[in-house]
Amino acid sequence: MHILQGRRVTKMFGGLAAVSLVDFDLQEGEILGLIGPNGSGKTTLVNVITGALPYSDGDVLFRGRSIRGLPSYEIGRLGLSRTFQIVKPFRNLTVLQNVMVAALFGARGGARDLAAARRQAEEVLEFVGLAHRSLAPAEGLNVPERKRMELARALAMRPTILFLDEVMAGLNPAEIDDAVALIKRVRDRGVTLLVIEHVMKAIRNLSDRIMVLYHGEKLTEGSPEEVLNNPQVVSAYLGKRYAEQARA
Amino acid sequence: MLVLQVLVNGILLGGLYGIMAIGMSLIYGVLRIVNIAHGALIMLGAYITFWTFTLWGWDPFLSLPVTILLLFAVGYLVQRCILNLIVRAALYLTLLITFGIEVVMVNLARIAWTSDLRQTAPAYVAANFSVGGLTIPYVRLWVFATTVVLSVLFLLLMERTRLGRAIRATAQELRAARLTGIPVGQIFAVTFGLGAALAGAAGAMWGVLFPITPILGRALTLKSFVVAVLGGLGTMMGAIVGGLVLGLAEAFTATFIGPTYPNAISFGLLVLILIVRPTGVLGRGEGR
Amino acid sequence: MNARRWVPLLAGLAVLVLLAAAPGIFSAFMIQFLINLFMMTILAESWNIIGGFTGYTSFGNAAFFGIGAYTTGVLVTRAGLPFAAALPAGGALAMLFGVAVGVPVLRLKGQYFAIATLGIGETMREVVYNLEVTGAGTGLVMPISRSPLSFFYLMLAILAGATLVNWWLSASRFGYGLIAIREDEDAAGAMGINAPLYKTIAFALSGTFAGLAGGVFAYWITFIDPDAVFKMSTTVQMIIMAVFGGSGTVLGPLLGAFLLSSVSEVLATQLATLAELFYGVIIVLVVLFMPKGLFDLIRRREFSFKYFARNLRENRI
Repeated sequence: MHILQGRRVTKMFGGLAAVSLVDFDLQEGEILGLIGPNGSGKTTLVNVITGALPYSDGDVLFRGRSIRGLPSYEIGRLGLSRTFQIVKPFRNLTVLQNVMVAALFGARGGARDLAAARRQAEEVLEFVGLAHRSLAPAEGLNVPERKRMELARALAMRPTILFLDEVMAGLNPAEIDDAVALIKRVRDRGVTLLVIEHVMKAIRNLSDRIMVLYHGEKLTEGSPEEVLNNPQVVSAYLGKRYAEQARA
Repeated sequence: MLVLQVLVNGILLGGLYGIMAIGMSLIYGVLRIVNIAHGALIMLGAYITFWTFTLWGWDPFLSLPVTILLLFAVGYLVQRCILNLIVRAALYLTLLITFGIEVVMVNLARIAWTSDLRQTAPAYVAANFSVGGLTIPYVRLWVFATTVVLSVLFLLLMERTRLGRAIRATAQELRAARLTGIPVGQIFAVTFGLGAALAGAAGAMWGVLFPITPILGRALTLKSFVVAVLGGLGTMMGAIVGGLVLGLAEAFTATFIGPTYPNAISFGLLVLILIVRPTGVLGRGEGR
Repeated sequence: MNARRWVPLLAGLAVLVLLAAAPGIFSAFMIQFLINLFMMTILAESWNIIGGFTGYTSFGNAAFFGIGAYTTGVLVTRAGLPFAAALPAGGALAMLFGVAVGVPVLRLKGQYFAIATLGIGETMREVVYNLEVTGAGTGLVMPISRSPLSFFYLMLAILAGATLVNWWLSASRFGYGLIAIREDEDAAGAMGINAPLYKTIAFALSGTFAGLAGGVFAYWITFIDPDAVFKMSTTVQMIIMAVFGGSGTVLGPLLGAFLLSSVSEVLATQLATLAELFYGVIIVLVVLFMPKGLFDLIRRREFSFKYFARNLRENRI
């Protein structure tokens, strides 16, 4: 079932087309990888879908209903949540409080009372493996912990669709493997995922399908094998090295 | 004919507003600080000129360089010793501290010089000349001429000197400026000093035209901000244009609506601009 | 609510009862001092709602105070309304003003919002100065009240209300929403928080309490003019009390108001200017050395030079 559909989504900044006529169909329960060189419009596309930026043209349908023009908080309430590429922690709150906010306000308005939100937050922190840092101030976390908290916040919203924006950036290979495993567990809980990533190894292991953006346009989409071996995709990035990696 | 007179009055006053705004715009453009103490610096300039005139008979226009130098020093020290310490703090803290500095300056002035109204009144203050049915007081003309000279000097400083280039570089790209070896802390201090100097010059002239009190600066801080925002925070040309616009708006309001309304108009204009177009008429994109 | 939440509530109740008994114990002078203290605390707490919890530093809250004062004043002197009706009306008008002004102005970021509120404060003074109905520059004279003690209890009641609201904000869904907006408005929006609505409510709430305090003030002082109620120094005081005590906390404004009011009361007997100078210096020192306020200092139990030095170093160029 197509849970999210994009039709000719376009975003212009002045004369520059950051996203141009992008169509996509997200299947319920799948993990769709979104790749492309820097500046190809991946984050912009997610910003438009989630209401952080206004559309220049096109539409996006969630379960058949258009969500174009809705403010970001309404889209969050509908069940679409996201992480930010540059994480945005609530610095003066503890990790637990950070996640509680998400639990209080997430999908369908979130929990109504603090006790329920706290329980929900604790459960999510347990799930992402950050429970031992619940009471630490958000400022004091290291990079992988921050990423986990960002993920925890998005999850505590009880999303139907989760957009992950380069969550692997800054992680070492072992941490990347952990992250991949975690994201798969998220999907097992019934969340549909759209994952923006640069780390090819991760994207290959994670995605059911991959979509490629280049200069704001959709270049191609398909299974990881098809896409990562596609010579156009390879040359769009920076060549042979990735082609070698993909074949390995 | 009345319209023409009001027009002239507005333009003459507008030049002064322009100078005030340039100082504010400069400080914001480089330091990203809204200097709430701007009016207090103007006030200080007015008092310095008043006292040098009253105690030693120095002509207010001739004593300008002294006022400018003194205010530059004050501004430099304030930035170097206080503001440089909180440059990276949250926005509301920088606002609060300039607020605090303003309060300190105003109250020191109250204690030192009382709240009695003063005026720098050299002999020629009442003299005016007529041309084509218009009456123009000499002082207003000289004030305007001075503001023109100061604007030109300032523009030359910013465009033609190494210092000016360094300041502009720091305004545009702080990290890059640092990397090319520009002593950013020093530049910040000099910039604030320049802004203060301009404020002081404006104050010196204000004191010749209007009464001087310790709180004369409060309304002027806001007006400087109106003008700077009108023209676009961070642009110099914009400040001059904005100054003229405000001067004209006030002149027309005072004459055709009522003498107690100009302040209300300028504040109302401020709020309106901020809501409708915070980037100003000529400004670059910021604000929302 | 669990046990931990009950303790502060009960403590507050105890203090309230104690204060209510004050008129029987203290001198008339002390009572006047307390009324003023209550008023400043209300203002600090009202500012705390928009400035502390929501993170929108408003420099024009004196406008709400003045609106409350003048609405009450005008309704009593010109429309002949009894004070009991005029006061709530003053609060209501201040609230409406908060909504009307808040909707456009809260869309502005950071310094633009601050300056806009500064402008609004000044504009209100000028407008009131020019209107006939408010007595223009000459001001309004209020009727003398028959029961001076009623002001004490009124202010105390409003104070209790403001403190209760602050306390509620510190641990409620709405309060968390405001704090999230303060910490990162974009992230808050993405999480489902309707930031524009919440901000406006916070601003209106802030204005309501300031307006109510203003209404009582007008009747208590019996004479108001634009300079008295739209004073910049009122804004100065409420901000510095909240920040000095600890903005964004419940006890902060209480602490700050109590301490600073007391010192300033002593200074004001010497010279009013000295009191304002004192406030200015305090602001500069607080921003430099303890921007998180007294509450943070107490909480960390770090009464050493190191705390101040650390704050100083954190924000330098």
